[in-house]
Amino acid sequence: MSKFTIAPAAAAYLVLSGAAAFADVGHGKTEAGEPGKAADVTKTIEVVMYDNYYEPESISVKEGETVRFIAKNMGEAVHEFNIGTAQMLIDHAPEMQMMVDHGVLEADRINHEAAKKMQASMGHGEHKMANATLVEPGKTGEVIWKFSGDGELEFGCTVPGHYDSGMVGEFSLTH
Amino acid sequence: MTSGMAIRAFAFGVAAMGLTTFSADAGEYNFTVDRITIDAGNFTKQGVGYNNSQTPTILRFKEGEDVVINVTNNLDEDTSVHWHGLILPFDQDGVPGISYPGIKPGETFTYRFPIVQNGTYWFHSHTGFQEPDGAYGAIIIDNKDREPYRYDREYVIQLTDKHPHSGDRIMRNLKLMPDYYNRQQRTLLDLFKDAEEEGLRAALADRSDWGEMRMMPTDIEDVQGYTPLINGQYSGDPFIAEFKPKERIRLRFINSSAMAYFDVRIPGMDMTVVQADGNNVLPVKVDEFRIGVAETYDVIVRPREAGAFNILAESMGRTAMARALLTSDPSLEAPEIPELREPPLLTMGDMSLDPAMAGMHGDMKMADGEGDHSKMAMGDDEELPPGAHRMPDGTIMGGKAADPFYAGGSGLEPTAAEGGKFLSYSDLKAQKPLYPDREATREIELRLTGNMERYSWSLNGVKYEDADPIILQYGERVRFKFVNETMMTHPMHLHGMWSIIDNGSGEKDPIKHTVSVNPGTIVYMETEVDAEGQWAFHCHLSYHANSGMFRKVIVEGGPEADEASLSNPSNG
Repeated sequence: MSKFTIAPAAAAYLVLSGAAAFADVGHGKTEAGEPGKAADVTKTIEVVMYDNYYEPESISVKEGETVRFIAKNMGEAVHEFNIGTAQMLIDHAPEMQMMVDHGVLEADRINHEAAKKMQASMGHGEHKMANATLVEPGKTGEVIWKFSGDGELEFGCTVPGHYDSGMVGEFSLTH
Repeated sequence: MTSGMAIRAFAFGVAAMGLTTFSADAGEYNFTVDRITIDAGNFTKQGVGYNNSQTPTILRFKEGEDVVINVTNNLDEDTSVHWHGLILPFDQDGVPGISYPGIKPGETFTYRFPIVQNGTYWFHSHTGFQEPDGAYGAIIIDNKDREPYRYDREYVIQLTDKHPHSGDRIMRNLKLMPDYYNRQQRTLLDLFKDAEEEGLRAALADRSDWGEMRMMPTDIEDVQGYTPLINGQYSGDPFIAEFKPKERIRLRFINSSAMAYFDVRIPGMDMTVVQADGNNVLPVKVDEFRIGVAETYDVIVRPREAGAFNILAESMGRTAMARALLTSDPSLEAPEIPELREPPLLTMGDMSLDPAMAGMHGDMKMADGEGDHSKMAMGDDEELPPGAHRMPDGTIMGGKAADPFYAGGSGLEPTAAEGGKFLSYSDLKAQKPLYPDREATREIELRLTGNMERYSWSLNGVKYEDADPIILQYGERVRFKFVNETMMTHPMHLHGMWSIIDNGSGEKDPIKHTVSVNPGTIVYMETEVDAEGQWAFHCHLSYHANSGMFRKVIVEGGPEADEASLSNPSNG
């Protein structure tokens, strides 16, 4: 948790410092893999986010490969493209709920004013996550990820209600 | 319309397989209305069923399809079929005396209308008490586009409150003795107990207040003694919904009860509500929800492990529990059915209609507006809602309910049995609003009224038979103000046009066909008057509708009327 910056809208992401277990996902190597370097990208995959589902809903990647994901939000709600195991995605949901409760995450936009207030009052920072991007309607986010882990991976949207109603897709890892 | 058209009256097992493929854009459907024997486990009774079965018939349509439905009446009396929640020409709506004359014994009536929506709905007889007697079924309309959610499998979960008495007999008994079916009356023993706790004077004063209302604190379900069924099956021989671990299952809940509201939960599993009354809502994860009479809710559940789960529907008055099974393997032992929770008691909060504290539109004004009531809200009770105060009789007055659709201090406001989130109308937000948000062109106040002593229910104090129709103008947006002056919850259902509940979500206000109004509250709904003809508008509790809580709505003007007056100047 070295940098605390106010990131641009498409990539802005809030992580509560208390949830360190998850926050670490974006930094080090885990069963989900690790953040990728732009120079290592061998493939770019576009994922379109609708209300409330992805297209495509399954993505095939090679083990060890670094992939650039372009997540395009064609829906009317804010959506997330988040890479992790099912458990990581489930564990992340309460943090997203807290963002909603604090008015940071509105149905169709990210309220940066509220994010600053939340930061000021609670001491939690705005922070860019390497394994996820939160995208407002009409905008595009990006994730570069190296599939160096061996976990069973999904991509999901942890905006409250979205993952649970089916906004999730599966990675199939080939050797 | 070719000879090859399919007859698609689905049985439950067929409809249970998710993601079925679609056939042609015009379908013909046939079903019969029959006298049947209904087995509720603890009793059997003569009733009415479709296709000779107590398992409700499921009709599955496709949005955009033109349907032809042939209904054959095998009863020795008139019948009718109303398509609850469907938007269609008024002469196809199936209400005798308003849409058409009904269907005579031996007659096959053919309905024809386009399917212009998608979602979970139901159909039922609008004649006499045939619906409480068993004449109801389910309607599934598949979305012409992709659903904004994902599921691998689906089941209809259709609830009813099957009573050993026929509807006619229940109505007669209620007229003779309105508390005939209320088994939870307070007794002399309760009076002694209350007197011990509150002092005799307070206990007596409380009772005299209730007496003036001609109500009792236990008047939550005025018809008790029924056995709830799910898809025609009772808890001991439950409906079984199978799944494979990690599958997403869409459960389409429909409350086809005559009188009973149910609180639905699946212990050990949360549910994501994705649709209410056939209209998709922004998904909201809950542990329990209340389904009013005639409402539908669609939820998605995802059991990650193998196992057997109870789908429980406990009545609002806590007099009965229905159970279906959600299981990865029907040979697994079914979980035990938990005990009924303590019955709620209505409070003075449910009784007092201070508009300022009713519904979400109020703030925390005191009922009698004097003094500093915060000092009265003392004692050992730390859990009073903000702004509430405790009356000398111990009742909590005022304050804001956690759920703004209940009266402050309401005894009815539910909490989740296993803790967690209980769905509120405030949580419902339209996924895709059907209409642009605009200012209503006028407001119509409808007081929900009744006299419990005579079991007489009405709107604005006037029964259906004595009332003029409500006249609406095509093209207007009417804001209905429901003021519930009774102590019962009324599910208000307007036929033919949508009911947009004002829950403060602006353009995302949820779109429903049935709006439940709790005691002591005011609820606003808005309707875009976009359907010509004449329609029914009533409380969906069978015995309330039948005793007069009912109106005819006439829509004046509209494209067809305008055309008629142009082509026939004498009408001008």
